Amino acid sequence: MDAKLVAVVKRDCPTCNLVVPVLRELRAAQPTLTIYTQDDPSFPEALSPIDDSSLEQSYRLSIQIVPTLVRIEDGRETARTFGWDRTEWERVAGVAGLGANLPESRPGCGSKTEDPGVAERLAIKYGGFTFRSREVLIDDAADPIEACFDRGWSDGLPVVPPTPERVYAMLKGTKRSPHEVVGKIPPDYGECTVEKAAINAVLAGCKPEYFPVVLAAIEAALAPDFGLHGVLCTTNFIGPVVMVNGPIARAIGMNSGVNALGQGNRANATIGRALQLIVRNVGGGRPGEIDRATLGNPGKYTFCFAEDEEGSQWESFAVEKGFSTNASTVTLFVGDGAAPIVDEISRTPESLARSYAACLRAAHHPKKVIDVAAFLVVTPEHAHVFQQAGWSKQRLKSELERLLQIPVSELVRGAGGIDAGILPSDAPDPNGTIPKFRTGSLNIVRAGGGAGKFSAYISGLGSITINPVTREVRP
Amino acid sequence: MHDIRDLEDLGVVAVAIASSEFRQAAAAQNRSLGYDPAVIFVPHPIQDRTDDEMRALADTALESILQSLSTNLADGGTR
Amino acid sequence: MKTELVMLDPTSELSPAERSRRERPSSIEGMTVGLLDISKRRGDVFLDRIEERLHERGFSVRRYRKPRFSILAPPELKQQIRNECDLVIEALAD
Repeated sequence: MDAKLVAVVKRDCPTCNLVVPVLRELRAAQPTLTIYTQDDPSFPEALSPIDDSSLEQSYRLSIQIVPTLVRIEDGRETARTFGWDRTEWERVAGVAGLGANLPESRPGCGSKTEDPGVAERLAIKYGGFTFRSREVLIDDAADPIEACFDRGWSDGLPVVPPTPERVYAMLKGTKRSPHEVVGKIPPDYGECTVEKAAINAVLAGCKPEYFPVVLAAIEAALAPDFGLHGVLCTTNFIGPVVMVNGPIARAIGMNSGVNALGQGNRANATIGRALQLIVRNVGGGRPGEIDRATLGNPGKYTFCFAEDEEGSQWESFAVEKGFSTNASTVTLFVGDGAAPIVDEISRTPESLARSYAACLRAAHHPKKVIDVAAFLVVTPEHAHVFQQAGWSKQRLKSELERLLQIPVSELVRGAGGIDAGILPSDAPDPNGTIPKFRTGSLNIVRAGGGAGKFSAYISGLGSITINPVTREVRP
Repeated sequence: MHDIRDLEDLGVVAVAIASSEFRQAAAAQNRSLGYDPAVIFVPHPIQDRTDDEMRALADTALESILQSLSTNLADGGTR
Repeated sequence: MKTELVMLDPTSELSPAERSRRERPSSIEGMTVGLLDISKRRGDVFLDRIEERLHERGFSVRRYRKPRFSILAPPELKQQIRNECDLVIEALAD
């Protein structure tokens, strides 16, 4: 049997120094013993170590702790031990009586391959992984953050320079192949691979564990029903809003509570931002070019939150759409900001529903109907009012639908002294009513902190070509 | 070169004049910026030239400078 | 040994990695030209002559000067140039 031993050590490790006599004993017993040193090629003295400061051999041997002793027979590893343990070393080496003067055992130290950032660098260099994206080189003396601004990759805020190591780490956040095409992003219909999405997720500041959510958001945005091209090429305010349901929200630390629609949470902030950067960088959707929004809204930097599912007696949005409570989903809808509904007095569901209706009536304009959609975000204190009275979500929706049947007489041009409005000829029945919202385009979700009798609605275009889309998150 | 980039961002068509010694440095700066601004090179050296020599350099460079600012083929524009 | 930082391109790569220059006008006749002196020696003589030749050709010329060549042009100076000129010639780097 053709057996050989390989040891990996570093000078900067007390246990590696401790076992030097053992390595001498092994070399005497097995002249083919190979010793790789991770830091100082002169260590251990007089044992002809091989310089592995590049860490290539350590990478290929998957060294995590030093010293490590590996037994290789017929080209295959058959045994390994790490740290110092006399019984173990004797077993792996097949040699008895090692290190007579040494203690029984001593733990090892971290391999240099475990130093921060090193694993990605080695995997890229020696792991045979190649990126397909173009490399952009800048001088070491240049400021990489400025370089990203200079190249137009930013949404106005600094982005994280997308080095190969960072992108590699991001790609580890998913099981999907980097070369898989997620879809083509309007308006340029640039091809977005998992790798391109990862580069933009790095720009946005995402952690690898957020990446599956980002990918699901892209898929949802590209669904024909969402109408992304129309969302981008408009003078309207809207931008995509990303809402997450299911276990993944908690797993990655998203915020569904206090300040849920605001700043301060990395997952909320960066997942929404990644989608926007992909639209900008891969799709070519930029303000002043295809994006002609007159005003836009701050949510176009990022608008992403998790629905609050804890302690809610109402089913979540995802469950309403037919997903199981264990499913993790991303829902994309369009939004132009968060409009406050302040009612600190109502204690009955009837009264609170009327408050909601009064505020929703004004979404976009009191005389705007049908073309408006909204997500009503009910916060816990308000939700309590409905739940105390036994109102289901559907009951609230039906009540709002009833309250938001608007008399045509109030909607026509000239009504209220306002020229805007509908043409009388467009009303099926001039003495009748028209619903504020097309059926299905008023949705109700829950989010927000436990204190505060404020809810909000996120309005958006209610076009038949622009609809909320939900996609499951895949690992 | 940063100035040229900034001025063009502001909407002014810009060209820089540099001595031929500056070619390498200009190339390095351009790589940093990801940008290739218009530069007209005049022969080195500069510092020890007489006033008459400097004026001659300006006369010689004038056509190239104007070409770099316009697309008009009558001006010999290149872009 | 000069080292470089590698970044991966986040775009669809439909256009070159390098930004292009500002589009040139088809005619520069009658435009106002700014001459920006970076304050290296001899540059003023060069620009004086350029100014003379531009006047001969019917251009309006305005003169500007950076405090010193080792810094970026101050933002107010760039704004002023933008407000007063169509074209700018910056000289002379050596």
